[in-house]
Amino acid sequence: MAVREIEPIVLELDRLEQMAESGYYNPYTMFEWPDALEPDRPWMSESLTTLAGTPMWDELTREQQLALTKYEAINFFSLNIHGIRELMSEVVMRIHERTYSNVSEFLHHFIGEENEHMWFFAQFCLRYGGKLYPAQPTLKAASVDHLSQVARELIVFARILIFEEIVDHYNALMATDQSLPHIAREINRVHHQDESRHVAFGRMIFLNLLKQVAGRDPEEVPVVAEYLESYLQYSIGTLYNPAAYRDAGIPDALALRRRALAHPARVQAHDKVLKRTRAFLSKAGVGRELIKR
Amino acid sequence: MSEPLQKVREFILERNPKLDEIPDDLDLIDSRAINSLAFVEFIFLLEELTGEAIDPEELDLDDFRTLKAIEARFFTQKATL
Repeated sequence: MAVREIEPIVLELDRLEQMAESGYYNPYTMFEWPDALEPDRPWMSESLTTLAGTPMWDELTREQQLALTKYEAINFFSLNIHGIRELMSEVVMRIHERTYSNVSEFLHHFIGEENEHMWFFAQFCLRYGGKLYPAQPTLKAASVDHLSQVARELIVFARILIFEEIVDHYNALMATDQSLPHIAREINRVHHQDESRHVAFGRMIFLNLLKQVAGRDPEEVPVVAEYLESYLQYSIGTLYNPAAYRDAGIPDALALRRRALAHPARVQAHDKVLKRTRAFLSKAGVGRELIKR
Repeated sequence: MSEPLQKVREFILERNPKLDEIPDDLDLIDSRAINSLAFVEFIFLLEELTGEAIDPEELDLDDFRTLKAIEARFFTQKATL
């Protein structure tokens, strides 16, 4: 990988590395997996489902509502798994490159912990749901080829950061939702705990690379801002999986998805999920207000 | 132009305010009129318009490159044998 145009990344990570070491746990032995989950409990907080707050939720039978929490939990954990696959492969290809030699110690913790998260998310889906949802189709080609090398590098870490921040919004709420089965709460809690370090690191590396992009060509910053806003919207869209609606026995999955995504209560919910990330991006000088139409 | 293809055109124009029109042979992917972030939405739109599921692992990118190819693949009555 050619990263010579990028200045070496130097970050103050001692505290995060110490926390990763002192908080280390064995994921393979720390959870108690029940044989089955209580049938009358939601698997995902009802307020976090993609139909929450709309008449589309109220129109469902209780069985459909519970089934939707089940399949949207499997979708949410599947998205985590595919997101982790992407970010791990990107980070693995960079660790021990010269640009990242100063942060490689933390990257080792990061890769290790992400692998463990992927394991417990998959355990949950396969044990209780019997499946994962497949990754959605992507175009490998093109969409950031027009950017400079350092901006493309920024986008790699921005995607990781945004993905983690969105997921963390859900984890933080579900970690304490007493209506969920204990194991679902635990997975969310443990993930939330580790992700606070990953988000802190993600923000530091993002700011470092953004400074490099702005220093090279300030005109490129609004282009990056536009990409990031699209990525936020895209990420929200992935939560609305028509396959989960079909599995929950809800008809007209695609039309329902379209209606739900555009519903004012949902648009408000999306703003709430993205609020912290958008505030961070704006403060960093790469918020959506820069987008030139 | 067929009505579903008009919907496809509207989807692309809505996401590309700088485009006034879309030539039938414009490469939608190379020109980034449909980028990787819009691609999933685009697949869902085609599924809804055709009523047919598109298997993400089986799709051929060339079927999506131009409006002409999209019309031929998704909106032309297949010849019966």
